[in-house]
Amino acid sequence: MRINSNLIKISALALMASYSSVASAGLNIFACEPEYGALAKELAPDAKIYSATTAMQDPHQVQARPSLIAKMRQADLAVCAGADLEVGWLPMLQMKSSNAKVRSTDLGLFFAAEQVATLDKLESVDRSMGDVHAQGNPHLHFSPQRVLKVAQALTDKLIQLDPDSKAEYQKSLTDFSKRWSDAIPVWEAKAASLRGKKVIAYHSSFRYLFSWVGIEQVADLEPKPGLPPSSSHLASLLKRTEAGDIMAIVVASYQDERGANWLGERANLPVQVLPMSVGGNEQSQDLFSLYDSVLDLLLGVKSK
Amino acid sequence: MTVLNNRITFVAAACALFSTSAFAQDPSLTNPAISAVLDGYYQNTERPMAERVEGFGLGHTELAMSANIDDMFYGKLTAVVEMHDGETELGLEEAFIQTLGMPGGFSVRAGRFLSDVGYLNNQHVHTDAFSDRPAAYRAFLGSHYFDDGVRLTYVAPTDIYWAMGIEAFKGDNMRAEDEHGEREFKDLGIYTAYTKLGGDIGANGSWQAGLSYMRNENGRLTADEHEEHEEHSDEDHGHDHSHSANYTGENTYIADFVYKWAPNGNYKYQHLTVSGEYFKVTDFTPAVHADEHLSEQSVDDQQGWYLSGVYQFSPNWSAGVRYGEVDTQEMHGDHFHGQKLKESEVSLAWHHSHFSTVRLQYTNQKGTNFDGIEDDNVITLQYVMTLGAHGAHQF
Repeated sequence: MRINSNLIKISALALMASYSSVASAGLNIFACEPEYGALAKELAPDAKIYSATTAMQDPHQVQARPSLIAKMRQADLAVCAGADLEVGWLPMLQMKSSNAKVRSTDLGLFFAAEQVATLDKLESVDRSMGDVHAQGNPHLHFSPQRVLKVAQALTDKLIQLDPDSKAEYQKSLTDFSKRWSDAIPVWEAKAASLRGKKVIAYHSSFRYLFSWVGIEQVADLEPKPGLPPSSSHLASLLKRTEAGDIMAIVVASYQDERGANWLGERANLPVQVLPMSVGGNEQSQDLFSLYDSVLDLLLGVKSK
Repeated sequence: MTVLNNRITFVAAACALFSTSAFAQDPSLTNPAISAVLDGYYQNTERPMAERVEGFGLGHTELAMSANIDDMFYGKLTAVVEMHDGETELGLEEAFIQTLGMPGGFSVRAGRFLSDVGYLNNQHVHTDAFSDRPAAYRAFLGSHYFDDGVRLTYVAPTDIYWAMGIEAFKGDNMRAEDEHGEREFKDLGIYTAYTKLGGDIGANGSWQAGLSYMRNENGRLTADEHEEHEEHSDEDHGHDHSHSANYTGENTYIADFVYKWAPNGNYKYQHLTVSGEYFKVTDFTPAVHADEHLSEQSVDDQQGWYLSGVYQFSPNWSAGVRYGEVDTQEMHGDHFHGQKLKESEVSLAWHHSHFSTVRLQYTNQKGTNFDGIEDDNVITLQYVMTLGAHGAHQF
């Protein structure tokens, strides 16, 4: 796995570098998604971090494969999005890895969605609605304010598990929060011209991003959450595009582009693939460059 | 509102319509994960030793409930409803507890559960890509072997996945045939030991391989006193409702592997699963006095294997091919008759969503002395659908 092995290499280098100075016992962190691997790297630079998925993999459908069981077996902390995003594989990994440390959120299990208010929480869930999450939309790493809150809570968790390194974790958090808070107004200024734009997108993957920058997702390529675009549904979307108010069709790096391309060709609309997470394109090397890249790409498609 | 397909609007509308009691998906104390599997089919004839009968029928209709009992134990109950000759029977396939908090990578499971020998055995039948288990499973494990017992597992803290387990079971369903009901069987019939290794190959592929050994204290056949043995036992092998193994032996060895592939490791759109298992069952001939041989050319091993490949080429469609053989020995008085069954199968499945599957399967079976089968074509049209909580699947 290219991205994962890079992460391991980087963290291994970080570990080697830190051995000479501070003998901080680096935690072993299992990140369910690369965005949380990247956040963990900001907050615990000495930790050994493994990301279970890449930005090219749909986190809804991950195999509870042997390599993940082996990594979870060794983890001190598992950091995941939560809100049932990983419900199809995380419980199996916990069961099979026999690692008592990561079995409960009282211990080394951390769900980002439990730290913030999620969007689109549902009172009642029925399968006829598709594969929806009662606990709200879990793709919250594109909400900069929520990322700040999650970073604070994750730091508390790191300190709980590794109290000896408390000062270092607090220093990392202060440093990250400062850089992140400074970046937010820069991003917002950059994205100002995107406000009010309308897009058609695949799933509600960019719900938080659109909500933040003021883009309106007027339709979904999926007929229902979790179901692939059907031809009849695409035909109805084509009709919708006739109003002429849509800026682009947006898909995430792990989503199939065929439906979007079909619609884009017929409606003469640009199709833009956005990195879903760190590693989703060349530019996205950490959370900062991921935000930069996503905004650059959206601004690029706006000027088309 | 001109846009009817806006998901948010839809969801809001659905909320307004179904504003009944809240339904959280997370299993908790007051809300365990409850799921049901509905399986119905039509088939033109039967596969030997299989559970599905000719005509319309219901397959594995199951109702499962699971939750963490407390911070130390997880529990699961799976009830299976089956039809036998027009009667409905309720069976328990799983009723187990498992530890969650043991140190050092150890875990204990106790109660009734699926043995972890081989690859397919501990998978739930409704996740299979074919309507029946391979012939080797039907012959040697009664399609899927679950029993009352206890298991101890250990997962090594290594980057390559390495798990080991030992199990002990009652083994009632694995007892050798006892024509006269005179035999004294041991109460603790089955012991197993297995190990599994696994890992990734690049970003696209993952593999797992395992070796298992099963000791069956009651697996050896009883000597048949009657010289001219009628072939009445063939009837019993037609289809197996009791989940009993049809061919037993004291020692069973299983080697298994599975390889899965998906572009960039993204399983949503396309993925390939290739798996295979080999079975060897030995030491089944009745124990006789050292100076007597049961027959001159006495054989003492039975074998079976299968190889299967399943490709999901879009979220809605998957296709599979499978070939399997099983060589067994049927006792007739003082000698054994070798039997062979070869099955070539293709299946095509349509998945409307992750939870609904409609499958068409064709099996060509060729039997040599096998329950009277010479050539047969079996066509099965089946649906398998799950409702309720979304259970996590095994690799």
